[in-house]
Amino acid sequence: MSKRKARDAHLPIGECITQVQQILRERFCERLLPDRPEGVEAQYKHLLELLRRTAIHGESNSVLIVGPRGAGKTMLLQCVLRDLQKEEKVQKNLLQVHLSGLLQTDDRTALKEITRQLHLENVVGDKVFGSFAENLAFLLEALKKGNRSSSCPVLFVLDEFDLFAHHKNQTLLYNLFDVSQSAQAPIAVVGVTCRLDVLELLEKRVKSRFSHRQIHLLSSLNFTQYLERVWTQLSLPDSFPDKKFAQEWNAGVKTLCEDKSVEEVLQRHFNSSKDFRSLHMLLMLCLSRVSVAKPTIKPADLLEASRMCFADATANMLHGLSILELCLVIAIKHLNDVYEGEPFNLQMVHNEFKKFLHRKSNSMYNFEQPVVMKAFEHLQQLELIRPVDGSSAKVQREYQLMRLTLDHSQIMDALQKYPQCPTDVKQWAMSAFG
Amino acid sequence: SQRVGEWLRSQHCKMVKDVTLGQHILIEGYDEDNPYVAKVTRLYGDENGQQMKAVVQWFMRVSELPVNKLKLLGREPHPQEIFYYECRNCDNEVNVESILRPVKHLDSNDPFPDSSDKDTLYVKLSWDSKVFGVVNSTVMESPAEPAPASSPPSSTPRGPSRRVLPTPDHAIMQKASLGEVGCSSVGTPANVEAESLHSATKLSASKCLSAKRRNATARTPGVRKRLELSSECSHKDFKMQPLCRTREQQGFLYISNTKSPEVENEKSPMVTETPRSSKRKSAMVVSSRIKKQLNLLENDQDLNSSGEEEDEFVPSKNDLLSSSEEEGQDEDGPNIDDQVSAKKFRYVATGSGNSRSKRKSYSSARTQRRTPAKKISPGTPKTPRHATPSIPIRSLQTQQPANILEEARARLHVSSVPESLPCREQEFQDIYSFVESKIIDNTGGCMYISGVPGTGKTATVHEVIRCLQHAADMDEIPSFHFIEINGMKMTDPHQAYVQILQKLTGQKATPDHAAVLLEKRFSNLAPRKETIVMLVDELDLLWTRKQNVMYNLFDWPTRRHARLVVLTIANTMDLPERIMINRVASRLGLTRMSFQPYSFKQLQEIIMSRLNKLKAFEEDALQLVSRKVAALSGDARRCLDICRRATEICEHSAADPSSTGLVGMSHVMEALNEMFSSAYITAIRCASTQEQLFLRAAIAEFRRLGLEEATFQQVFVQHQALCRIEGLRPIGVSEGLAVCQRLGACRLLLLEPSHLGVLQHIRLNVSQDDIFYALKAD
Repeated sequence: MSKRKARDAHLPIGECITQVQQILRERFCERLLPDRPEGVEAQYKHLLELLRRTAIHGESNSVLIVGPRGAGKTMLLQCVLRDLQKEEKVQKNLLQVHLSGLLQTDDRTALKEITRQLHLENVVGDKVFGSFAENLAFLLEALKKGNRSSSCPVLFVLDEFDLFAHHKNQTLLYNLFDVSQSAQAPIAVVGVTCRLDVLELLEKRVKSRFSHRQIHLLSSLNFTQYLERVWTQLSLPDSFPDKKFAQEWNAGVKTLCEDKSVEEVLQRHFNSSKDFRSLHMLLMLCLSRVSVAKPTIKPADLLEASRMCFADATANMLHGLSILELCLVIAIKHLNDVYEGEPFNLQMVHNEFKKFLHRKSNSMYNFEQPVVMKAFEHLQQLELIRPVDGSSAKVQREYQLMRLTLDHSQIMDALQKYPQCPTDVKQWAMSAFG
Repeated sequence: SQRVGEWLRSQHCKMVKDVTLGQHILIEGYDEDNPYVAKVTRLYGDENGQQMKAVVQWFMRVSELPVNKLKLLGREPHPQEIFYYECRNCDNEVNVESILRPVKHLDSNDPFPDSSDKDTLYVKLSWDSKVFGVVNSTVMESPAEPAPASSPPSSTPRGPSRRVLPTPDHAIMQKASLGEVGCSSVGTPANVEAESLHSATKLSASKCLSAKRRNATARTPGVRKRLELSSECSHKDFKMQPLCRTREQQGFLYISNTKSPEVENEKSPMVTETPRSSKRKSAMVVSSRIKKQLNLLENDQDLNSSGEEEDEFVPSKNDLLSSSEEEGQDEDGPNIDDQVSAKKFRYVATGSGNSRSKRKSYSSARTQRRTPAKKISPGTPKTPRHATPSIPIRSLQTQQPANILEEARARLHVSSVPESLPCREQEFQDIYSFVESKIIDNTGGCMYISGVPGTGKTATVHEVIRCLQHAADMDEIPSFHFIEINGMKMTDPHQAYVQILQKLTGQKATPDHAAVLLEKRFSNLAPRKETIVMLVDELDLLWTRKQNVMYNLFDWPTRRHARLVVLTIANTMDLPERIMINRVASRLGLTRMSFQPYSFKQLQEIIMSRLNKLKAFEEDALQLVSRKVAALSGDARRCLDICRRATEICEHSAADPSSTGLVGMSHVMEALNEMFSSAYITAIRCASTQEQLFLRAAIAEFRRLGLEEATFQQVFVQHQALCRIEGLRPIGVSEGLAVCQRLGACRLLLLEPSHLGVLQHIRLNVSQDDIFYALKAD
């Protein structure tokens, strides 16, 4: 260690680690856009051309970017906008309005937000005055006044586009698409969504006004490309201040990627999902284990991180249960086996539990009914069991029908790991019939 | 008549206020705050003397003028200002009972005083429903005649005569007549002879007018349309630039020079204006000399002047006669002053008229931005803030299309207004004749237009209105007011009232108040109204539980004095039967029209006409697009969008961007694939291994259950089994749920809310065959 420190003349190791953490974290948190979007060059070009035409020629357009979650839809759009803003002709010629279906949950708020972002003249400070109807009329009037050659193009970005389709009458979408198809102020409507069937959500007259351009982001990535991506994501750029450290780090990453066990873990991740957001999650967990004392990522770190990623949340919850609660869960499991998944109530579970106590139990003794009930309610609070839909609240709590929201495999796994679980309880759980 | 007036007054002085001939009075209208203003020209009783009538000359208040026309004034209107209303086809007879009280008024020469006395009104300009003109005192005396009685309309072919019109003497005549009549003082009662003579001429004039109308209608509108659309400008005067022509010019100039359209814009109104002002100057010089020969010349002049000057000012024979009689009584001194000031105003008025025509013809020109965007009439103080709705102006010039493909793309954009609407001639003609007949007969009516989206319903109606507007400008039909509302462009069906009222009068009101005002407006006798043509787009969204909005919309046209034509548009053919209750459907009537989806030939024609001989597409490629779209929906918008996309593909596929060829079959095929193929199969192919396994597990479970639905738990069991078969490590429940959620987010699966966890039910959103196909091809 000291030897290394001595060789790193210009940067202490602590400094280097901080730098590494900062650079990679920015990458993994997706705060930093990549220089060029990878694997989606055709889509990038299509979108860039489209928006450039709106900005430069004043041609109205509408387009949807469709792809599964984490496929890089927003990244693509942001890259295009960044590169578009760099162009001389576009720079001050494009107004942007960003809306999100999760924030603007109805047309009223969406309209206010549009008006606010466009700084129309009925905006004072940050507030928009006027009723919904007035705002709509005002915005439409404003857009109508404009024309292709003289007014500034407006780019509308609708994130979570499918949620806008649920607004009443789809008024906003109709009007935006209508403007984009008539000789008014030039606008480009870019919808971002992960639903493949989004067009079916649109009303027919709205659909007719949409240009039917869809940019699909479906990654046909194979595993070698995936591995390569991991490698590029982890390696440090040439601009890293300490060249020596960067070289060593990059060499470490290379050996890491070639490791058999690491490859296996990554393969599993790749099989599960191809999106980069979950990969970033995994790498982030690895990165957080890097410290001055351990300045490289070891295969063990990746295994540990992977274990954390794949950990079963509900099964983990079972570890915190009391023995009584665990016994009730096991009783429920037996009931499910016997009655093939029919719902149960507290009385049935208690009976099953009492049968177990009668027959085999050595370590357990009988509990009072109220204590059992309390345990049962605790299970319900943890949502390990949930009431059957439609069972009315009028039914006494003992007789309310419930269902188990756990899989049997989860119960068995939890039992294996449960600290100091009585053997008879374990055996009871294993036995085919209670 | 003075005596008659005295007599009538004595008869009815209890209920009628002091009204003398020539006095300005207020007449009750639908708006209590702003009653109508008029001047009494004649009072008479009917046979038994019970009902007293008054013949009046109407004046317009500022608030009654159409908002968009206020711009023509070129200045802020004074709140107490009124305009002399020259309209040929308005009812100028009122019941004396409706007279509220007399008001003071000042004539054209005085400046606006500062005092805001509510009862004093000022006349400065006249208004003939199109442009402002200078009031001249003769017409103040008796109502203007549309055309002199002596001129037979058939003998002067309208269009050409205007072109070859010997304009100088016309202008001189006008000046002269102005000067002539200026000497008669404004408020004096008309003399009996003039009055009676006038009514005689009026009769014959109205006959002439109706004959003219018949002529106009005899020509079929379809023919007229084609004439207007195809011919360049033969029948249009320099003031009305034909729309199609300017478009063409612009289109042409795109290629040649980017700057020139603007230059053209700036120049053209000037060019049209200069000869006129010079005419006016010469007129000034010689006017006094000519004055004496006036009576000799007037017949000639009247014959010639039935052109566009007519709507600004036409001295009828009768007017001139009466004024020349009065000439002798007044001295010449104030006469010249009068004349000069009138001239000044006239200049202003014609100037603004020009700017209007300029705006109309170059609706896309930049000049529009500089004009004050929206003036809120002083009559409505309810608007607290004067916010102008506008989008910022771009800092850089738009780039013009550089090559053929870009040019084609610009032309194929749905927004570019076509020079004509091909393939809808029959529909055009039906709607045109319907609206035209209603306008000419001064009646109202409803029409229901249906058709699937993208079949040109709204475009056709707009085209009809454009042609009618042009006909109205040419004085072939009476002028009308067009308003448009769209069910989708309002937040609530009741907002329809607000929008209609706002577009009619510029007033702002709450929906309830607006409904009351409109009700009053359409049911009361309001003689000066023009016919209103109302387009109601997306009618089905105006549905309310009680259907009162629709009921009112269809009920107003049936009122006697409403003069309202309602054109409604919706998608479904049987909308009246499906959603309207009987009394609404009955009022809508049976005038219906349905737009059929375009056939492939029509679609092809549409594209061809838009491209307008621009060679950008291969013949086969166009046919493929139109056949494909016609087979699916017949939506012209879709067709144009596909063509546009094909040009892009063509542009990108070419190796060298400068030498792009025609858009061929391959490009069109690619565009079609992009737009019509569903992404499901690609999405399944691109899904991760576990996601694909999960889909297979779902199918396996459905097969086992014989149902199309299963819980996650059941599918998960299958999934784990499949994992083992495939030699993969079985995944945990949490991971399985995550996989399931991802598929659900793309809507490959349909899921219940996720809080149900393993109990949620799963269904497929794609057919099983699609999944098998997608996975097998791997």
